[in-house]
Parts: sequence; structure tokens; C-alpha cells
Amino acid sequence: MSRRSRTPRPPATLPEEMPPPRSRYHRPRRPFSLWGAAIGLILGISVGLVYTWTVNPVIEVSTEPWQLQPEDRAQYMVGITLAFAADSDLNRAVDRLLSLQAEWETNDPFQNVANTACRLASTGYVDSNSGLRAIRSMMTFYQLQGRTGCADTLLPASDLQPTAIVQVELPTPTLLPPATKTPTPASSPNATTTQRVLVVPTSVPQRSFVLADIATFCNARISGMIEVFVQDFGSIGLPGQPVRVRWDGGESRFFTGLKPERGPGYADFQMEEGRGYIVEMPGRSDPSQPLTAGPCTDPNTGAAGVTSYRVFFLPAS
Amino acid sequence: MIRFVVSLAVGLLLGLGVGLYLGWVQFPKEYINSPARDLAQEYKNEYTVMIATGWQADRDLPGAVERLRVLGVENIPQYVQGVTERYITTSRDVRDIRVLVAFSEALDRLTPIMEPYRQLNITGSSS
Repeated sequence: MSRRSRTPRPPATLPEEMPPPRSRYHRPRRPFSLWGAAIGLILGISVGLVYTWTVNPVIEVSTEPWQLQPEDRAQYMVGITLAFAADSDLNRAVDRLLSLQAEWETNDPFQNVANTACRLASTGYVDSNSGLRAIRSMMTFYQLQGRTGCADTLLPASDLQPTAIVQVELPTPTLLPPATKTPTPASSPNATTTQRVLVVPTSVPQRSFVLADIATFCNARISGMIEVFVQDFGSIGLPGQPVRVRWDGGESRFFTGLKPERGPGYADFQMEEGRGYIVEMPGRSDPSQPLTAGPCTDPNTGAAGVTSYRVFFLPAS
Repeated sequence: MIRFVVSLAVGLLLGLGVGLYLGWVQFPKEYINSPARDLAQEYKNEYTVMIATGWQADRDLPGAVERLRVLGVENIPQYVQGVTERYITTSRDVRDIRVLVAFSEALDRLTPIMEPYRQLNITGSSS
């Protein structure tokens, strides 16, 4: 055990030997500059964020549905409601809708469907049968949940009823009654003059038609056929109506009624597989969406074929 | 002065590391308005199942194919075949597999691995 020296230290006599008083001006010197470190830290974080957010951001490899652009989100939503129309699985549909819901949207996924249907119904999306069917599926979906949207008014109520297949009643031919024998009046020897009646030919009244429905079917026997039905009010076929089919690099004009066994308003056109065709009544209706002659399988026979279409034109009003 | 410069450099390096971590890991840039072709594969599969399910109800094959075009795949029948086979090989929900197999068959892409899941179609045609 060492003994400490008890020799007292002599008092300081000179001012420079006295310890400096502890004040804000006489703190011990730190080994680093706080200001320098803070400025460096802020600068470093800023540079790092700029680099990672703008210069070299993370490459997106797992985009989620809510991050999609509005058009594609609408398509995804259409897929959800179409699937619901088929399987009626509401839980699954809601789960899928939640994955589609962005933070800035309302918390009501059903109302989001109504809003999207409204937006689609006010665009050209409804011009095709597929689009119309998609919006109907959305309307059914949100209406079942008690929601409403402007699509309810944009699409007429009659459109909500599916117009799946129009049954065309083939007319039953009736034979003309045989001519009855009538006595020939005795000719008078003196001819009498009759007043000449001038008949002024009038042009056939032109009416506009609308493309009322396009139904697809697959039948191996009539593979790749466009069947056109031009009908008057009351599903009465109209013969002699011009129809035009256009495709990439060509067109064909023909008239209804040339196959009377299929009805007076019937005409058809044979497609080539893989091509797209547009059907219209030239100058009297809008052109259809492209009809694709894609491969299909006959559900009755299982044979491979080409998709066929039934196109119905009806008077506009 | 040297003390300040050294401190600045050390702070800069530390801050850079923190910034990179925040920007790449903790708060990475989130993309919105992305096209559907950038969807994660899982969601692409999900979308394909939805379209195939919808097709089973309306039988609108051109419409279904058109809806799948947003995924940006060039050969849609081949893509559907791939998804179907992936669902089979990974033992996914058998209902989804059946739907996809029927859709593949409609697109003329029925392969032997799909045969056990093939369903007889007893619904009548519209013609």
C-alpha cells in the first residue's frame, strides 16, 4: 500500500498559473466540429435521397394493382366484376378490389366501381358489345350493394336486359291462291279515252340503322361466318339492304335477301382465319368493332373451328 | 479549420449512407400510373384468372383476348397456356385451374398436362 505524499502544493502566485475559469468561452476543445458534422450529415442525407429517388431509383419489379394508371385500373376492375358475374364470390371480389384501392380514393370499393363504370360509360368504351357487357357487369355488381352511379342513367334501362340471341322466325311461305275465272267484259266497239295518270317514281326512303347486337358463336359446320340480319321493327327482315364488310386490304358489298331460306333480311360473309373484319351498312350505320376470325372449339362436337358472328341491324328510331 | 473539414467529411459520409438506406430500403420511390405490363407476376396471373372466369360466363372470346392485351404480352394464347401450366405445376386452387384449362382450350392451347382438369362442356351452342 503506497502512501500518498502529504506535501501541500504551493499556492499559485502568478495569474498565468491559475486554472482558467469554466465559462462558455473556456470549454475544453472537442476533437471534432459539431457544426461541420451536422452540415455534413444534412448534405449527405440530401445527396443520398436525391440519388436514390431521382438519379438511380429502385427499379419497380412488383407493381401492385393500385399503382396502375387509370385506364389499366379500370380494366382490372372490369376483370373483377366479370369474374364476380361468373362465380358470385363476393369475398374474393372485395379482396381484389381492396388490392386496387389507392390511398387517395374513397374507402368504399363498391362506390369506386360505380365511379369507374360512370367514367367508362361516358366514353367510347360502350361502343363495343364487350365494353357494354363489362359495364353491365359493373353495374350489377355495385347495384347489388346498393350503390348508384351515373352509368345507371347513361345506359338505358332496356340495355340492362341481356340481348343474347335474337330468334329469327323464318317466314312460312304461303302459296298464292289460284286465280279465279272472271268473265271478260265484252269489248265495246267504241274506244273511250281514259285520263292518263303520270306516275312519278319516288326514291326509297332512306333510314338510318344501328348495330343492335353482335353475338359470337362457334360452329364447326359454319366456321368463320358473319351472319347479318337487317330487320325492321317487329323483327321483320328487310330484303335488298346493302351490307359492306371491310378488312385489311379489301372490302365486299352484298345485299340481304339472297338466301331466302334464311329469311328476307339475311346475308352472310365467309371470313378468313386470323383476319379482322368491320361490318356496316354503308352510309346508313356506323361501322362495327373489328370482328376477329379467331380459333374456337365447337362446344357440341369439340371440333376446332373459327369464331362466327351474328350481326343485327335495326332501324335507328 | 482542418477540424471542421474533417468533421464535414465524416458527416457527409454518414449522411450519404443514411440517405441511401432511406431512399432504397426504407422509403423507396413508389411508382404510380404504371402500365399493366409492369404488374407483379402474381397479379398478372390473378388478372388472367379473372378474365378466364368472366369468359366462362359470357363466352366472348375476342373480348377476353382484348382485355388481356393490356398485359403487354405478344402471344396471348401462349401466355394463357403458360399461366395455366404454372397453376397446375404449383398446385393452385383447382377451380382456377379448371377455368384456365377451359380458357386455354378455347384458345386452342390444350396440352397433355391440362387434360385431367378438362371439363366436358355440356352447355349448348347459340347457333
